[in-house]
Amino acid sequence: MDTETIKNKIFEILEKAKGKKKLKEKDVIRIASEELNVEKDDVKKVLRDLIEEGKLCYSYTGGASSVEIPSEEYLREKGMIK
Amino acid sequence: MPKMYDTPLLDELEKGPWPSFVKEIKKCAAKNDMAADELGLLEKSYKTKIGYWKHGGIVGVRGYGGGVIGRYCSIPEEFPGVAHFHTVRINQPSAWFYTTDALRTICDIWDKYGSGLTNFHGSTGDMILLGTRTEALEDIFAELSSRGWDLGGSGSAMRTPSCCVGPARCEWANIDTLELCYQLTQEFQDELHRPAWPYKFKIKIAGCACDCVAAIARADCSIIGTWKGDIKINQDEVRNYVKNGFDIQKWVIDMCPTECMSWDGSTLTIDNANCNRCMHCISKMTKALKPGDEKGATICIGSKAPIVVGALLSWVIVPFIKVEKPYDEIKDLVRKMTEWWDENGKPRERIGEVIERVGMRSFLEYIGVPPQPQQVKEPRRDPFWFFTEEDIEKIKAKEAEEKKTGVYKF
Amino acid sequence: MSVPQRRTDIGPPHYEQFLPPIIKKNYGNWSYYQQLAPGVMVHVAESGDKIYSVRVGSPRLLATDTIREICSIADKYCDGYLRFTSRNNIEFLVTDESKLNPLQDELKSKGYAIGGIGYRVSNPVHTQGWVHCHSACTDASGLVKSIMDELFPYFCEKELPNKVRLAVACCVNMCGAVHCSDIAVVAVHTKVPQVDAEAFKNMCELPTTIASCPTGAISPDPATKSVKIKAEKCMYCGNCFTVCPAIPIKDAERDGVAIVVGGKVGNLRSNPKFSKMVIPYISNEPPRWPKAIAAIKLILETYAKDARKFERVGEWIERIGWERFFQLTGIEFTYQHIDDFTFARETFRTAATFKW
Repeated sequence: MDTETIKNKIFEILEKAKGKKKLKEKDVIRIASEELNVEKDDVKKVLRDLIEEGKLCYSYTGGASSVEIPSEEYLREKGMIK
Repeated sequence: MPKMYDTPLLDELEKGPWPSFVKEIKKCAAKNDMAADELGLLEKSYKTKIGYWKHGGIVGVRGYGGGVIGRYCSIPEEFPGVAHFHTVRINQPSAWFYTTDALRTICDIWDKYGSGLTNFHGSTGDMILLGTRTEALEDIFAELSSRGWDLGGSGSAMRTPSCCVGPARCEWANIDTLELCYQLTQEFQDELHRPAWPYKFKIKIAGCACDCVAAIARADCSIIGTWKGDIKINQDEVRNYVKNGFDIQKWVIDMCPTECMSWDGSTLTIDNANCNRCMHCISKMTKALKPGDEKGATICIGSKAPIVVGALLSWVIVPFIKVEKPYDEIKDLVRKMTEWWDENGKPRERIGEVIERVGMRSFLEYIGVPPQPQQVKEPRRDPFWFFTEEDIEKIKAKEAEEKKTGVYKF
Repeated sequence: MSVPQRRTDIGPPHYEQFLPPIIKKNYGNWSYYQQLAPGVMVHVAESGDKIYSVRVGSPRLLATDTIREICSIADKYCDGYLRFTSRNNIEFLVTDESKLNPLQDELKSKGYAIGGIGYRVSNPVHTQGWVHCHSACTDASGLVKSIMDELFPYFCEKELPNKVRLAVACCVNMCGAVHCSDIAVVAVHTKVPQVDAEAFKNMCELPTTIASCPTGAISPDPATKSVKIKAEKCMYCGNCFTVCPAIPIKDAERDGVAIVVGGKVGNLRSNPKFSKMVIPYISNEPPRWPKAIAAIKLILETYAKDARKFERVGEWIERIGWERFFQLTGIEFTYQHIDDFTFARETFRTAATFKW
């Protein structure tokens, strides 16, 4: 499976869950690997790369950690976009 | 010049002999806008008797999910200096030893990017840098990490392990708490920085049963030094204690919880088979008594504060384990424990709570530790228990063997 | 000036580079220690080498300027080495005995509090409070300052039957060791939180919020697309607020503090114990919380007077019995003292032996 497809799937999963359910890293990996029929480790690698690049972030709201797509406002504050 | 606030209530707390946190905040407030507004905001809390901080959120450094606690003020229009007031956790060195050069490096970075306020240390053990803005986080991390410092844990992750002073300055240390703490921290770097677990997981390491880091009460995984074999007695030193007015009968013999000691006026005798290693006698006669030579640790699991169905003290899982470099056995054990927890735990469920809900047997079987009487205060009192078919087969096989030999084995 | 290149997952620096040479030399080979004064002890190694530790109290919340001051003192007397304890004290590590007195003189002249070793009150472990926490229902630093000003002689001078470990937590999350301390303060809410239905829709997950309640007091409210709280089932733990900011629970007039006693973590003589609640509520009275401080002093001094040598607070109370504790302290026993939560059945008395 190419990386781009997995990336798109991860974003799709997170967009769909936005505002409804906070997803943990583990949840995203499970859902993506089931829907795409790929190994969990492959999804994990792509997910971690997205986090490392700052395209995704860990969040700590509601007393537990989850993975989220950062807002533009946050990325601007961080100086990651102008 | 930072804004000056009138702080009549906080000024009260500058008086008195105990060192004043208000003086500390004022030192920073005199030259830093964030600290100045922190002081103003705190005075307001003292006046209105309510706090003005909001839940955190997404704030962190790129790639990490831990180490930064997002904090925003709920009335930023009134106190713009603390609109953002994030916390940075720095993983402390084992047992909190520092050189002054190292501390000054941290201070320089913090004066440049933050409020100047710190906690030495936070409850879990990290150095805490209190109050900075989102924009500054990447720079702070680069400055710290390029000088050899890394962030500590936060969120649903391995939290920064901590340990007592151990063999660095204590004669009772049964294990090298500092090295074990360092090695476990290094082993679990990914789990510490990238929160992937149901909830937090803390490790604390104490060198003996005195437990100066409160491992038994404040760590999901409590590692406590102990020994097997006889307490070493220096009879001359015992007699010296007595000669110097130490009431050995009243303060040691009569206070021994297992009543395993006796004193005939010249010789101290210990019935070591009945000693439970509580450390009372050793701590009272430190020159005369020493732990035995076969050192190791007890590993307990599950302690936590009350949220939400009650506080737990850690439960004994492994009564005795050798603690020797490179600590592979302990590392493997921690990995297995957290795997089982991750597999079975619901969001925000600590490992102790999962053990209670799912069952101790499932946990022990997964991590490969056999049942032992040291794990319980007493055996169960209800008449309801599970058998697997395998358990029954084993009992039946044993009974068949007994029939053959004519000897019962209970 | 450009920012240097970041590194990740390096962990903390190895502790060895921070150990004084005398500690490196005698690592794992200490023989015994002796307390020389309320804040001074000496550890003697098998080799005969000695290291002196001078312990000073700290408010934990330190300005970088103070850390720099501590550093220059450590440079002058300790060859640039120092450590902090698990209870936030600072320890100056002295190798040269002749520097011991000048160090203490300088510390005293600069207002540092030397003490806390042995059978005394040591530095309280505490949380952030109003200084920095979103769930705080009191200020931990202010309480600690007020407690220690009052109990100061027990830190720097007077002996007690055994050590007394104090702690302050600014809410029931207890980011301190309140649940296992000799005497501790925990701040509590006393009012059922209100749901902000509008905010709930944007900020909170329904199943998570319902699941967060340990007593099942929260149920869905389809009319407002949020939740409702059954008041008689709520015991104000605030866990719903932790997972859902739209259920604020803070209340200026109703938040307050409770006192718990008798916990310990060490195994000496008796097993580690939980703290037990003895005063369910005292109003928040900043800046000095006079009633809470008076309560702590009352308990400490009753213990000091009545306990046997080496008994911790919890051991003393177990020996004399809880009815005797309430009698000696004059603290009123109320419905709040009788557990009606998770561990209740373990706490009801099942014997006919009392003291009157």
